[in-house]
Amino acid sequence: MGEKLIKIVKRDEVSKSIFFLTPILAIILTLIGGGLIFYFLGFNPLEALKFFFIIPISDVYGFSELLLKATPLCLIAIGLSFCFKSNNWNIGAEGQLTFGGIVGGGVALLFYNQEGFYILPIVILAGAIGGMLYAMIPAILKTYFNTNEILVSLMLVYVSKLLLDYLVVGPWSNPEGFNFPETRQFSDSARMPILFEGLRIHAGIFIALASVLISWFIFYKTYLGFQMKVSGFSLKTARYAGYKGKTMIILVFMISGACAGLAGVGEITGPIGQLHRMISPDYGFTAIIVAFLGRLNPIGIIFASLVVALTYLGAETAQIFLQIPKYTGQVFQGMILFFLLASDYLLFFKIKFLGIKKNEL
Amino acid sequence: MNTNLKVTNISKIYPGCIANDNVSLEFESGKIYALLGENGAGKSTLVKILSGVIQPDNGQIFLNNKVLKLNSPIDAKKNKIGMVFQHFNLFETLSVFENLIIDSNESRINLRENINIVMQKYNFVIDLDIPVLNLSAGQKQKVEILKCLIRKLEVLIMDEPTSVLTEQETNELFSSLKKFSEEGILIIYITHKLKEVMSLCDEVAVMRKGKLVSTGKIADEKIETLAIKMVGQSLKTIKKEILKENTKEQLVKIVDLNFKSDDPFETNLSNINFELNRGECLGIAGISGNGQSELFQILSGEITSENNSILFNNKQIGKLNPQERRQYLLAFSPEDRMSQAAIPQLTIFENVALNNFKDSNFFKGGLINEKKIKEHSSKILSKFSVNTNNVELKSQFLSGGNLQKLIIGRELITSPELLICFNPTWGLDVGAINYIHETLIKINEQKKSIILISTDTDELLKLSDKICVIYKGKLSKIMDANDVTSEKLGLLMGGGEID
Repeated sequence: MGEKLIKIVKRDEVSKSIFFLTPILAIILTLIGGGLIFYFLGFNPLEALKFFFIIPISDVYGFSELLLKATPLCLIAIGLSFCFKSNNWNIGAEGQLTFGGIVGGGVALLFYNQEGFYILPIVILAGAIGGMLYAMIPAILKTYFNTNEILVSLMLVYVSKLLLDYLVVGPWSNPEGFNFPETRQFSDSARMPILFEGLRIHAGIFIALASVLISWFIFYKTYLGFQMKVSGFSLKTARYAGYKGKTMIILVFMISGACAGLAGVGEITGPIGQLHRMISPDYGFTAIIVAFLGRLNPIGIIFASLVVALTYLGAETAQIFLQIPKYTGQVFQGMILFFLLASDYLLFFKIKFLGIKKNEL
Repeated sequence: MNTNLKVTNISKIYPGCIANDNVSLEFESGKIYALLGENGAGKSTLVKILSGVIQPDNGQIFLNNKVLKLNSPIDAKKNKIGMVFQHFNLFETLSVFENLIIDSNESRINLRENINIVMQKYNFVIDLDIPVLNLSAGQKQKVEILKCLIRKLEVLIMDEPTSVLTEQETNELFSSLKKFSEEGILIIYITHKLKEVMSLCDEVAVMRKGKLVSTGKIADEKIETLAIKMVGQSLKTIKKEILKENTKEQLVKIVDLNFKSDDPFETNLSNINFELNRGECLGIAGISGNGQSELFQILSGEITSENNSILFNNKQIGKLNPQERRQYLLAFSPEDRMSQAAIPQLTIFENVALNNFKDSNFFKGGLINEKKIKEHSSKILSKFSVNTNNVELKSQFLSGGNLQKLIIGRELITSPELLICFNPTWGLDVGAINYIHETLIKINEQKKSIILISTDTDELLKLSDKICVIYKGKLSKIMDANDVTSEKLGLLMGGGEID
């Protein structure tokens, strides 16, 4: 009888390279897993993966669509990274996005027949504030009443989605819209400037990039960021150091909510141009995957948002060319998260191959 | 019944450290064996091997001259080897009875009878039907021991059992252990407390840095010889000299301090009054859970109180938060190193930045001045002989002693007027304890004051000028350290009266 051939050993220290390599490993495993699924569905796996991951970005239009989809993901994930890094589990970004969309959209509708350079900034600001206020609900309930922020923030997603539903069907629906569940079109002054003629990519991408820079700066370079970090690790330590731990918790939720609100307002003033029921294909939930795939690191999040955005595009292409439902995209997102969590095991353990040891009989 | 347990040439190597280096030992029933050593000497590794928690890389275990292969704690249990860990493995919300029978498949009625017989035999008085969380540490330990006894074990291994016990509970434990031993149970007792070894054990094995240093009869040993073997250097005994000429310049005055908590697990404080002069150390003794943690938090400002209840240099500071109190040159070293005084996942310099004292300039204009913090951290590391000079090391890789040196250093490098510390040497090895004690004495000599809240009476007697006892949230009268004996303290700590 031989001894065990493989031994799993605990690492002494999490290695930096593994920390950033495991997301790549997760992506490779997802590709293999996806290939297998396509194979069992009766497709040539390589062909299908090509339709999924290469065809969609093989021209300028495709690439611009990728950036368009990555923009809200990146923005929300950056906001979420503040929460997650300080151990606050805000999973209601979708709700904050929706509420930001409602507030921003509401303001845009006030100006529906007006023009002016000031309109867009007001709309954007309104959206950010909307998301921020909405995120403060779970934060305040958590800090003052000890509720669980996971449950509260998740439940509030459905509240805001139903509120949007009510508004676009009822009071805000377009009076000339034949009772379609949508509002008026926003005026041109309330729309994000388009960057290139003929493409949908808009100025929101600059907001996303700016937020990456700002968040990196706040978290790594300022006293405020340091206090957030400490409060996240241990409220006891924060209290001992004299930081206002509760304020910090509310603050990270506010930042996170504002980012989600910005993403929401970016969508409605960018590609959509009005409010209707489906202003987000679950960007708020998918951004959770983006945040973790990017290791909660601002630069990592940029790359992760591009990868995950590709699954949205790939799903659409695959639906057209292979007649696969577009929900395959969510299967891929799920697989990425699954493999990422699984390969995180390697952060703390390493596998040793021992070779065959023969025992005397 | 004669039990013989033997280990031969046991080695266990962890990356970067040899935890057990070729250890061979033999144990016979009828005797109590001490396994003595500093933190990190390898004694815990050895007993984990004996109880099947980890497997050795090399070497063998023999029980009654038969080779014993322990692949898991279950194997140890089957072979009647029982282990009581320092941290209890009990389900807090289950009842005592449920905890005792959780891994047994006998009928409940039989078990209850069994348990009652064992309890009567050894004079254990525990209500079987209350949840474990309502028990004191000493009672929880009894439950752990009962868990072993009802399985009719032959070997009982105790890992640092007295660190959570009161004097009285310790005495009770010792007499129980002696009784078990007389009945033929082989007892292996792991500790770094020399006095316990002398009063309890028959034989002693000393380990240092993974190696077995000596074995022998207690009768042939003295505390001093054991200490030298354990530490590997001659131990300097330090004893504080109480200042004769007392200028009596008052620094701190606590007036009618009260605290009422909404949390049923916290202790209310009532009517705390004391005064402290410059250059003095006030020791506050007590069994843990009598309000020490609440008192510490109130003194540090984590919990604020009536503004006029705390006077520092004649200024009212009761309403100030810890950071504001630091501006008045107070410093704090909390009990919990790993989740309060420092954050293990952060680097050394980030942990240093937690003490953002007056004129630190760590965060000028709201920005992190990393260079400044790192310079300051290097200074602490060298001045307080922390075992590294890498300020970017994550604090979790420091040993307990080095982490505590870092924390004490962080608090003291600003030359505060008053240091408030809570169990500063808890869980540390002798070398680190001595270092911390010397440091504390030194700052007293520099006319700085200390409030030392501690559950270690030896430490209090060694360092304090004045001592009082906290019991159920009330302070006893303050006594001169010269007039205090550990017996008097023990009595007050248990709620008794003196004079």
